[in-house]
Amino acid sequence: MLAVVVIVQSLQLKKAKVAQAQMQAQPKPIKINEPTAAELEAKLKTAYEGKINEATQTFGHDLEDTSKRLSEQVSRLTTTVIEEELEAYQKTLEEVRKVATQAMEQIHEAVEHQRVELRQGMEAELASEKKLLADKFDAKMGDVVASYISESLGSGVDLGAQMQFILQSLEAHKADIRKDLIGEA
Amino acid sequence: MKPESAAAKYVLPPAVYSPQLLEAVVYDLEVYLDWYRQSKVKKQVGATPDPEPTHSAETVVVIEAWLAGKPPTLESLEELIETLKNLELPQIHVMLAALPNRAQRELLVNWFRNNTTPQLLVSFVADRNLGGGVVVRTPNHVYDYTWKQQLVAGRDKLAGIIKSV
Repeated sequence: MLAVVVIVQSLQLKKAKVAQAQMQAQPKPIKINEPTAAELEAKLKTAYEGKINEATQTFGHDLEDTSKRLSEQVSRLTTTVIEEELEAYQKTLEEVRKVATQAMEQIHEAVEHQRVELRQGMEAELASEKKLLADKFDAKMGDVVASYISESLGSGVDLGAQMQFILQSLEAHKADIRKDLIGEA
Repeated sequence: MKPESAAAKYVLPPAVYSPQLLEAVVYDLEVYLDWYRQSKVKKQVGATPDPEPTHSAETVVVIEAWLAGKPPTLESLEELIETLKNLELPQIHVMLAALPNRAQRELLVNWFRNNTTPQLLVSFVADRNLGGGVVVRTPNHVYDYTWKQQLVAGRDKLAGIIKSV
């Protein structure tokens, strides 16, 4: 009996195994009724929205922290860069100012030197020109006087009126003329 | 023919007072002598001689002074020309503001001859730029007694006057 029981159970077991194997080979579609599906969908939606909210909050916090740090970093970096640039700029500016000052001083010295030279040259030239004009005037004095006399008297020279002056002049230098002509005093 | 000593002692008449006049007299004499020779030849061959050339009053005076009343001969006139060319007389040049007229010229020539040497030759030049006075140029010196010279000599005074204006 026992053996029969065992055999039956073995057969049942075997049959169950076969059925299980068949079931495993061919899954049986699960049929869910409408309310359950609606319930499950609602639960799933709720859970999904909760997860999304949670993820959004987490992402928002992370983003806020990142933004804050980034802002601080950018601020620090910007400040540092600007300070460095400003320092470099000031340094460059100082060098440029120094060079410009030196150049200005050199230019000023050169200009001053030129001015002094120019002034000396002009003074010398002016003096030379003045002397030249004075010499020229002296040299041309005879012509000037002759022209003045000629223009003033015109053609009306009265030799008769001058004869007295001429003879007086000759008398005053008679000895010189005589000495020159005949070698006597 | 005049003796040689006469040529040496020859005194130029006062009428010939300048080198230019002396040259003119010599030229007149040479022209006259040339005419005289040609006329003589023409007379010998029976041709009509040319009319006698004219000559200046100074030439006449010179010839008369040379001949001293004797008749002229070809030789004496040739000797006169030679004597005149060889004269070495002192000369002066007188510059005035205008050329002198005859009276003024005689006055000046007489003054020079009376106060220097009678045989002096005087040439006159005019320069109106002188204004007045006289410039006497001898072989060695220039005596300037003109108004122009006096003005130029007083240039310092002139400069002072100009500055003070």
